Amino acid sequence: MKSLFARFRRTSADSPMSCHQVGELLQHYLDCELDASRSLRLSAHLEDCRRCGLEAETYERIKLSLAQQRPEVAPDSLARLREFGTRLARGEEPLDP
Amino acid sequence: MPEIEVLLRVARSLTRNDADAEDLVQDTLIRAYKAIDRFDGRHPRAWLLTILRNTHINRNRRRRPELLRDPGGATRHMDEVVSDEVTDASVEASFDAEIEKALGELDEPFRRVIELVDVDGLSYAEAAEVLNVPTGTVMSRLHRGRGRIRDRLDRAGLAPRSH
Repeated sequence: MKSLFARFRRTSADSPMSCHQVGELLQHYLDCELDASRSLRLSAHLEDCRRCGLEAETYERIKLSLAQQRPEVAPDSLARLREFGTRLARGEEPLDP
Repeated sequence: MPEIEVLLRVARSLTRNDADAEDLVQDTLIRAYKAIDRFDGRHPRAWLLTILRNTHINRNRRRRPELLRDPGGATRHMDEVVSDEVTDASVEASFDAEIEKALGELDEPFRRVIELVDVDGLSYAEAAEVLNVPTGTVMSRLHRGRGRIRDRLDRAGLAPRSH
């Protein structure tokens, strides 16, 4: 019985994903929030399925475009805050502003 | 402290203003040092993001009466939005421009999540900390928000088609 269960689990983990499953998990995959095993199976499906591959490509382009909108943090602000953090750590800044 | 840059980026998303963002991170650092004894040492970024969120909420609470006394503040914001729309209308339609417009038109809860995850690069769990909502809510808002952006690309004929 135990070996049957183990066999079922192995088969399930190795079996190809359906388009429906890919649709459910695609966003997690693109956000790197999917475990390695399912990522591999999903990736294999995208290689073989043109429709899902195009869907993934669209969302990848959306993510890339959004990431490009990332505003540069103001370098002066960043430098001042790093300096402030260092002074705080050294106890050189009052904790009650 | 490598987290300062992430904090500043997220603060910028929350406040939409460089000076306010810097003030918010400074207050966050002070609160963090005050509470350092209660920190268990795990997940410092998530811990700092939680403090940032709470600090932001408290600062907004203090500010709200000032906004009520200064109705021009709201009007100025509306003027900026209208001005942006006019500018956008003249920009040639392109993939990136279409996405930027689509993002701007999303309802606030969807836009916030997309900004935190896709623009600021936070994980689902970190975005959930900042917004004080369950991770599942982050995921559903993210997926619905992206779906709306995708629909807009479809309507503009900019999404790849399989046939």
